[in-house]
Amino acid sequence: MPKLRLPKATLALPAWVWLLAFFAAPVGLIIWYSFGYKPSIFGTHANDILSLDRYAEALSPTFFSTFSNTLWVGVVGTLACLIIGMPVAYWMAVKVPTAKRGLLIAAIMIPFWTNFLVRTIGWQIILAPQGWLSQGLQAVGLIDGPLEILYTRTAVLIGVIYNYLPLMILPLFVAFDRVGEPLREASKDLGAGRLQTFLRVTIPLARPGIIAGLLLVYIPLMGDYITATVLGGAKGNMAGQLVAAQFQSAQNWALGSAMAVVLILTILLSAAVLGLIIWLATLPFRSHYRLRLGAEA
Amino acid sequence: MTDPATGASVTTGSSPDEPTGTVVLESVTKRFGTAVAVDNITLRVEPGEFLSLLGPSGCGKTTTLRMLAGFEQPDEGSIRISGKDVLGIPPYKRNVNTVFQAYALFPHLTIAENVAYGLQQTKVPKAEIRTRVADALDMVRMRTFADRKPQQLSGGQQQRIALARALVNRPSVLLLDEPLGALDRQLREEMQLELKLLQSRVGISFIFVTHDQHEALSMSDRIAIMREGRIEQLADADTIYGAPKNSYVAGFIGQQNFLDATAKDVTSADSAVGPVTTTNVNPAVHGGDRIVAAVRPEFVQLAASADGGKSPGRANVFDGTILSSSHLGETVQFLVDLGNEVSIQARLPTPTAPRLSEGDRATVTFSPDSVQFFPSESTAPQQEPTKE
Amino acid sequence: MTEEPIRILAPRSAIPTIKRELSRRNFLAFSAAAASVATLAACTPGGGAKPGTGIMASGGPLESSLNIFSWGDYDDPAVVQSFTDKLGPKVTFGSYGSNEEMIAKLVAAKGTSGYDIVVPTGVFVPQLAKAGLLEELNHDLIPNLKYMDPAFLKQIWDPENKWSVCKAWGTTGFVYNKNIITRELTTWNDFMDAAQNEASGKTSLLDDPAEITGMYFWANGIDWNTTKKADLDAAEKFLVDTLAKHIAAFDSYPGGTAIPQGTQTLMQVWNGDARIGILNSTNPDQWVWRLGAPATELWMDNWSIAMGAKHPEAAHAFINYTMVPETQLKQLDYIGYHTGAAGIEDAAKAENLPMLDMVFFTPAQLATMKNGELNENQDRVVAIWTAMKAAAGA
Repeated sequence: MPKLRLPKATLALPAWVWLLAFFAAPVGLIIWYSFGYKPSIFGTHANDILSLDRYAEALSPTFFSTFSNTLWVGVVGTLACLIIGMPVAYWMAVKVPTAKRGLLIAAIMIPFWTNFLVRTIGWQIILAPQGWLSQGLQAVGLIDGPLEILYTRTAVLIGVIYNYLPLMILPLFVAFDRVGEPLREASKDLGAGRLQTFLRVTIPLARPGIIAGLLLVYIPLMGDYITATVLGGAKGNMAGQLVAAQFQSAQNWALGSAMAVVLILTILLSAAVLGLIIWLATLPFRSHYRLRLGAEA
Repeated sequence: MTDPATGASVTTGSSPDEPTGTVVLESVTKRFGTAVAVDNITLRVEPGEFLSLLGPSGCGKTTTLRMLAGFEQPDEGSIRISGKDVLGIPPYKRNVNTVFQAYALFPHLTIAENVAYGLQQTKVPKAEIRTRVADALDMVRMRTFADRKPQQLSGGQQQRIALARALVNRPSVLLLDEPLGALDRQLREEMQLELKLLQSRVGISFIFVTHDQHEALSMSDRIAIMREGRIEQLADADTIYGAPKNSYVAGFIGQQNFLDATAKDVTSADSAVGPVTTTNVNPAVHGGDRIVAAVRPEFVQLAASADGGKSPGRANVFDGTILSSSHLGETVQFLVDLGNEVSIQARLPTPTAPRLSEGDRATVTFSPDSVQFFPSESTAPQQEPTKE
Repeated sequence: MTEEPIRILAPRSAIPTIKRELSRRNFLAFSAAAASVATLAACTPGGGAKPGTGIMASGGPLESSLNIFSWGDYDDPAVVQSFTDKLGPKVTFGSYGSNEEMIAKLVAAKGTSGYDIVVPTGVFVPQLAKAGLLEELNHDLIPNLKYMDPAFLKQIWDPENKWSVCKAWGTTGFVYNKNIITRELTTWNDFMDAAQNEASGKTSLLDDPAEITGMYFWANGIDWNTTKKADLDAAEKFLVDTLAKHIAAFDSYPGGTAIPQGTQTLMQVWNGDARIGILNSTNPDQWVWRLGAPATELWMDNWSIAMGAKHPEAAHAFINYTMVPETQLKQLDYIGYHTGAAGIEDAAKAENLPMLDMVFFTPAQLATMKNGELNENQDRVVAIWTAMKAAAGA
């Protein structure tokens, strides 16, 4: 074993302790509880009898629809954030003079200065059938009756896009900014138009930032229950609400833990599947430009 | 000013006057806000010519290059490449390629893919791309590195790849933006040689931007000395060196001693330390003008004067005291105080240099044909000494 | 968990909405999520301190501070301020959104929660007391009990007011938009029928397990504390398979936005919340309030003192202070619920407070209101509620 290993590990010790205490341990406890049961009205969990029954409950048809609903909101919301966030981030990184970027970043961050719940409730007021958006749209004749959007999955989607968009824009902005003008100019100099430059230089080089943005949005979005509770009503149910209800109202930590584990696995698995789909979908494009000369000559 | 649209559509293809590889700038001006970066430049580059744009930073040389590449559009004037007006034509539609200052290699692509990038943008068949990329890499002797990533290469190697990536497209004009600036001195000199050989082999017009006079002098067919957005002089290296058009050019290329003087006529003048004469007639100089007389240190002769005797009245002969002497290897450099707050530099070949040291009396002479007169209003502040 | 003043940048009209959303019994108790994780390791099920280990109040000098753990926005700040001005102790509030959340915290802390006063709903009092999470009240220190209406003291869950004393009580009914539902609705059966017809997709239920199964039992003449499997199966079948798809929201506070903004047509709602909603509505005349019939709920929130309270004297003094008649009236005006004081109905009428028919009820109405019970059906009721919510979103 190389001699340098020990000091390096020592340096990382605080981080490891932190991770163990505040990530690994709670997650381990959640997994442990998920094999238990709720023993009594005031008991939240017991583990003297271990079983997979809580998983059977969590995956029953009743809750399965909620998980698939969550997945739908998660995937569509994340992709929407990407589609909306990418032009904004690109514009900020490429077109806006450096001096004015700080102001724009601040403007994007401003919503974060407000409590998450209050921000979301703001949308409840906007989207209500007698809210000002509804009245405004009716006044200009775009819709006939009141706006019937609050307490639907669409409202949840609007809410999560609003709440998570900055988390997409910021890493994308940093990624686009780091690609830098010289490489884009080099691409154009070599005969690539705007689209080709974007597809072959900007996107591949910004890939770590794009992945970071997707994960930063997708993971908390999948676990979000505030937005769904405030805007989703009964129709925009999300898995986070199920977990929260089991821990808070039902005080059934065993079932709540099983649901949380299912949610974590759903997130991991779906992220992996999505990554694979994107990888496969872009494979022809990438292999088209692949060139290996080998060691001949 | 030419209408970009019509200008581009009317003149297509090369014309007999301006065959492929010709670059013409006519009265080109470029402003950034209120600052004038390029001020009414007119320039013609012939096919296969190696032309350097030389000047200090901020002189407009890079802006000129960027206008040729298509990254900037001129505010006034017209630019023609191979006889075709390129006003409003985006960079990716111009038959020019650029070697960038920091190479701008794509870090996510292999060396081969970097070189293939330009060919992949056009409809070049895959098999042809392979052979052309391989040939281009052979040309810069980087064939074995084809499948590596740019960050695995040294600066000089990256430089070669940048060259190959540009040349593989067979542009009519190659633009080079201080391509050797990031290399250490030895490598830089090696690359200068290589670049010049390469250029004569491919026969493409090279427009080379640099602030390094040695680079410009060693490679260029012609050099355009630029200052504050204008071309001060456009000529071959010998002319620039031997017959600078004004004191700015004289000072920028090589080293110069400048003596303030008042012209008596076109060939003689009085300086604070005595009369100066020249055989080089400058039509801009008239009797009675304030002028500077310029003489290069290597043309200054130096001899010990045992008694410190005066030589009054003799033109181009002065007595002085050695202020310092320094050994530079092939030459010895002296700084001589001529009195009246005038000092002069002399550089003599080591074998023939007199053994003089600080405080010794010496006589300074130079021949009239090594002296040039320039009107003093165009005197540039002495350039910072070039890197030695 | 100090309650800090919340400053919100929003149109004025939105402020009541936001305030209500952050108020009593709000489902969104965010602190709970964090607290749960933090206390997971420390918590043992059903554990707790033994009764009587705390310092019992004996009428000594008041401590300088007092910590109250209560439903959000459940006390008039003016009343709290005047208490501090007159008697000294500085009051700090923590808030919770459900009894379960509050209990989980007391259980986890084992008498070291730092809270002096908690406000449990009546049905939770016996178990809290049994688990040793409450201190006994010293009635000598609450002489103002004399101002209370005996009808609201000595409730079934605490017949001697040993652990608790009424803070406020309310009941459950519904509100509907008479412009859309033109027929007269009077009973829970009418409610559930309208929910499947005129108000399908525009109906909200309270986000509370017992209220939902309760509604079904009240409508069908079944004891809402039933533990019979057949009853619970029937309730689940109807609620999950039939009613769920018509439900637009599970909203414990339609008075916050839904009523003022006209989001829903038909809403199950607590009386005080309904009153505030209609009062804040731009079009109050479209709303009709009905007390649930033929039977409905009576819930009562109670002042109790937490085990291990560090400021028992101040806690007693505060409970006593809230019972002064003029304080009672201020509290009623602020929260919109009956505080259990004697003669408060006349006082409120004298003050011309609006819509008092939603605060005070006739003896005949009171007779239809049933106390809940915390029994072994609890898990099943919660399961039905969870399943119904999932079915509604499917």
